[in-house]
Amino acid sequence: MKLYLYGIINSSDQIKESIYGLEGSGVYNIPLCDIGAVVSEISQPIRGVTKGAVLEHEAVVEKLMENFTILPVRFQTIIDGRDNLLSMMQSYYKDFKDNLERLHNKLEFGIKVIWPADKVKENIIKALKKGGQRMPESDSSVSKRFIKEKFEKYEIDKEFEAKADRFIKVMDIFFSKFAAEKKLGKLKTENLLLDAVYLVEKDRQNDFREAFEHIKNAHTGLKYLFSGPWPPYNFVVLSKKSGLLRDSEQADLFDKVTQCQTLVGADSI
Amino acid sequence: MDSVITKSKDVTLLEILDRVLDKGVVVSGDMVISVADVDLIYLGLKVLLSSVETMEKLRGSPFIGPTQEPT
Repeated sequence: MKLYLYGIINSSDQIKESIYGLEGSGVYNIPLCDIGAVVSEISQPIRGVTKGAVLEHEAVVEKLMENFTILPVRFQTIIDGRDNLLSMMQSYYKDFKDNLERLHNKLEFGIKVIWPADKVKENIIKALKKGGQRMPESDSSVSKRFIKEKFEKYEIDKEFEAKADRFIKVMDIFFSKFAAEKKLGKLKTENLLLDAVYLVEKDRQNDFREAFEHIKNAHTGLKYLFSGPWPPYNFVVLSKKSGLLRDSEQADLFDKVTQCQTLVGADSI
Repeated sequence: MDSVITKSKDVTLLEILDRVLDKGVVVSGDMVISVADVDLIYLGLKVLLSSVETMEKLRGSPFIGPTQEPT
């Protein structure tokens, strides 16, 4: 029996409402200690990446997010049987627990800011010309022209980056007031000034939205894309050791987890 | 499923793809059945993600770049 894994949740309880996942199979929780792996059974050969399958996966994760803290698992993670799933859970148990605690009651929001790179560069060139920072026009030899062009490009790029940094700093100071964690991506393309994700406490999400509206209104001439709330896809941090434990470590962890299972009275292993 | 559909009216499908295909927990080990082709297909999506114009197009509104420098 192959199990399609949607996420790890902070509960060993069975899921009360009916949720259907890929191929219309019922979604259920396989507990380990005080956490659980939410799966559905999958029998057919693995399909490719289709829009429908991605949306089905995301729909299950979002449904679970309503009632649990969830660590979303990447699309098409399929485990060969219940025993293997529990073995995986044991080796990742500490990481899963740490992440579930850190991400409890928190949501992810995405912010993309697009600026008109051509216009920005145009203005930089104008300003540089005005400021007289270009090399003298009298340098007309091929080598000097080459150096001059390189120098100008360097100056423009430097100012372009500096300008991006200034904009991002102003925005980020504002957003960070309401966020627990963040990841900022600067100029992934020339037009994509900022591609950021913020982790926000559930009860501060309205403040965060207001901060976004404020920035949007304060900086005209930019285009914005706000998305969320999302499960914390960008904020799950697994240590490199997880899944690669030595036999002795595995045995030690297995003992701890077994004790935990005994304490909570679970008998599902 | 409803929540995804509702949300996708407001945000681009690429936002979902970016997360579901490229982020989240990745478990490794013999017990995990490897998933063929995801990386390759995602490579194509990365190209899409880097295109602001494509992002705007998929969002459902034509891209009209700002004509003025931001203030």
